Amino acid sequence: MDIIKRGGDRHSEQFMRDKLHASIVAACLSVRTPIGQAEAIANAVCESVIAWLQQHPEVTSNDIRLVATKHLRIHNPEAAYLYEQHHITI
Amino acid sequence: MAKKNTFDYDLIVIGSGAGGSAAATIAAREGKTVAIIESSVFGGDSPNWGDVPTKALMHVANLYDEARHGARFGLRSSTLGYNYPSIRAWKELAVKRTGAGGNRKYYENQGINTFIGLAHFLSPNEISVNRRHLSASNFLIATGANWIIPKIPGLDTIKYLTPRTILETIRPPKSLLIIGGDDTGIEIAQLMATFGTKVYIVESANHLLPNHDIEVGELIGRVLSEQKGVTVLTHSQVVSIEKEGLGKRIIISRAGTEKSVRVDEVLVAVGRAPEVDLGLENAGVKYTDAGIKVNDFLQTNVKYIFAAGEVLGRNSQTHTALMESQVAANNIFHQPKIEPDYTAIPKVIFTNPSIATVGLSEDDCLKSKISIKKAVAPLSIIARSNTADFRDGFVKIITDKKGVILGASVVAPHAAEIIHELTLAVKYGLTAYQVADTPHAFLSWSEAVRVAASKLS
Repeated sequence: MDIIKRGGDRHSEQFMRDKLHASIVAACLSVRTPIGQAEAIANAVCESVIAWLQQHPEVTSNDIRLVATKHLRIHNPEAAYLYEQHHITI
Repeated sequence: MAKKNTFDYDLIVIGSGAGGSAAATIAAREGKTVAIIESSVFGGDSPNWGDVPTKALMHVANLYDEARHGARFGLRSSTLGYNYPSIRAWKELAVKRTGAGGNRKYYENQGINTFIGLAHFLSPNEISVNRRHLSASNFLIATGANWIIPKIPGLDTIKYLTPRTILETIRPPKSLLIIGGDDTGIEIAQLMATFGTKVYIVESANHLLPNHDIEVGELIGRVLSEQKGVTVLTHSQVVSIEKEGLGKRIIISRAGTEKSVRVDEVLVAVGRAPEVDLGLENAGVKYTDAGIKVNDFLQTNVKYIFAAGEVLGRNSQTHTALMESQVAANNIFHQPKIEPDYTAIPKVIFTNPSIATVGLSEDDCLKSKISIKKAVAPLSIIARSNTADFRDGFVKIITDKKGVILGASVVAPHAAEIIHELTLAVKYGLTAYQVADTPHAFLSWSEAVRVAASKLS
């Protein structure tokens, strides 16, 4: 699965689950979610994003952000807001 | 001088169903460079899994049903039976003969480049299909809609059917619960009930076909329950579903009490949701889960991206999508832009009796506070009901105070044909008097139109 990055040269990179996981955990911790719960939410969100990516072999980093936010909102709306607004690096 | 952007195509059409196909063909004939992208089978829903296969099966079911009840006319029908694999083969033949199902070659012969895969916008002028990047100066989004899967506890633990997958079943199930009593739900209910399936329909509204006038829903509910043994559960909601042996147990809430039904199969037909998962954010196109937002010219907020068909979320039928596709093709390449005319779009449900409506319903008029006159002519009062021994149905006409026809509902055999007279009347503002004054052939079902119109003239 390729992620097309922002910027003029439009370079792409492989999707990295760990990177997404870390950013979701960071968003959850920022709204004082217990670490165990943050990890569990991040796992669930990553699984949902990966399932979506199976259908979409080439997407932009913005797409990942939107899809991750949508799923994060189900588990933790506050963290989702933060994730959406603060552009935590994926 | 500013450098002009160059793109791979003049037009990329996303979706090869009714909403996309006409525009692609029109643009190619005008000498434009066109690509069409299909995520599944060329031709889209209608010829492959919707109108065509369903109606091919309905034709067989109606024939079987007529013959089975022919004893009253002196026909011997006691040994009549059916072979479902052969019926399915007939359905496949009907799909193949339309020429629209799986018609990739048709586009290629017209010089249209075809691609199979999910299209995903990467930027406003660029999409990705199977990692291949394509750019265009104009886009038409016609991705259609998918069947909605409601959030019902336990539904994800069972294997359920949709109106698409039920057409592929090896044989009709012994019992079937249909969630959703709208157009598709009742067509399939009648189809399966005719082939011997015990059918239950669960509908949350107070009558079947909640988007039609109440008389229509009540009549079809009575026909289904009295003649086909269908259990119609209106005012009802599915609470939960669980597996029970080889079947499924469904808990239904009705008027505050819970009821339990065990069936072999469950069909989910609660409606369709537009397919908007194609990276529209990357193109800056505004949309909601209810569909892509367009102006009167089918143009999105991005001026060179248009949309047509079910993706607009207007619950359109195939002929509406086709009209929108033609309008979009004009508006993409020509001035002045034109608007699709929705005033007289007939809607048809191919049950027996079939149902056809056009223009405004009584509810529409009430909501819009339009003063109306209405008349209903039951089929039983016309001569054809005697010679055909068929009395379940009516023609209902709605006019404004001056007698101009605003809308009509027909429930009758061949309603899909009868409605076009009234479609013409709605489109061109004819009065009930003009319709009543037009000779109608004796012993045609259309005599009911004349009778209803004469009550208003």
